[in-house]
Amino acid sequence: MAGRDMSQEMISCREALRFLYEFLDGELEGAPNEQVRAHFDVCQRCYPHLKLEASFRAVLQRACGTPCAPPELKSRLLAALAEADKG
Amino acid sequence: MTERRASFDEEALPHLDAVYRFALRLSGSPDQAQDLVQDTFVRAFKAWDQYTPGTQCKSWLFTICRNLFIRQWERGQRHDETVADNTRPEAPGQDVGNPLWSAVADVDPEGRFFDSIVDEEVLRAIDALPEDFRTVVVLSDVEGLSYQEISDMVGVPVGTVKSRLFRGRRQLQKALYDYAVEMGHIRGTHGRS
Repeated sequence: MAGRDMSQEMISCREALRFLYEFLDGELEGAPNEQVRAHFDVCQRCYPHLKLEASFRAVLQRACGTPCAPPELKSRLLAALAEADKG
Repeated sequence: MTERRASFDEEALPHLDAVYRFALRLSGSPDQAQDLVQDTFVRAFKAWDQYTPGTQCKSWLFTICRNLFIRQWERGQRHDETVADNTRPEAPGQDVGNPLWSAVADVDPEGRFFDSIVDEEVLRAIDALPEDFRTVVVLSDVEGLSYQEISDMVGVPVGTVKSRLFRGRRQLQKALYDYAVEMGHIRGTHGRS
């Protein structure tokens, strides 16, 4: 079996779903990453899991990503830092 | 301005918005978040000599921010909120996909119902998570930190980060789904009408 291309092997649904978070979180590399991607590309049963997780993440980013530090915080902070820089 | 201050401004200050967002999710209150952010940056500046240039400044600031928050929080209240996740660390590997998604896939395979949930409700659901879960979910899903970075920050093994992420996400997904069902954005799949 030596020398066969692992990335061409189809993994099971169970296996693909087991690695779903690691795949989406960018924690998989090389052949395992390709195997999971290849599974979701073709498996109609698993694909919605990927899609739903991605939509979930997008909604968190939308809700949390907007607020910026208020200007008054910035000026307050710069004053505190200037003070700390003196002493 | 000293050289030390100039290098601090260049490396640390660009993360002000991210630290503010993180503090906001930790504390749930804009006033407390502002105090937390100010304390974080002043403390970071005082310890600036200990920071290794070129390393992950953002995670370092998050770590300081979280430590300050936990200390304040331990001093005061909300002890009941800590997660007893050493009782049974649910192994993500045992799982074969979210059963909720298997059901939702039939009615909304793209997850469009998420788009109909207003930001305030999403934030409310995040804030309702226990701190241990909330922190890892925000750091991973919003700030894009790696498992290793979160592990270093929070001071727990990568396996625990994964298990907290798994449980935190599931809890949050369930809360958002229940809300969407309640609001009529999606048809319920658990015997609800």
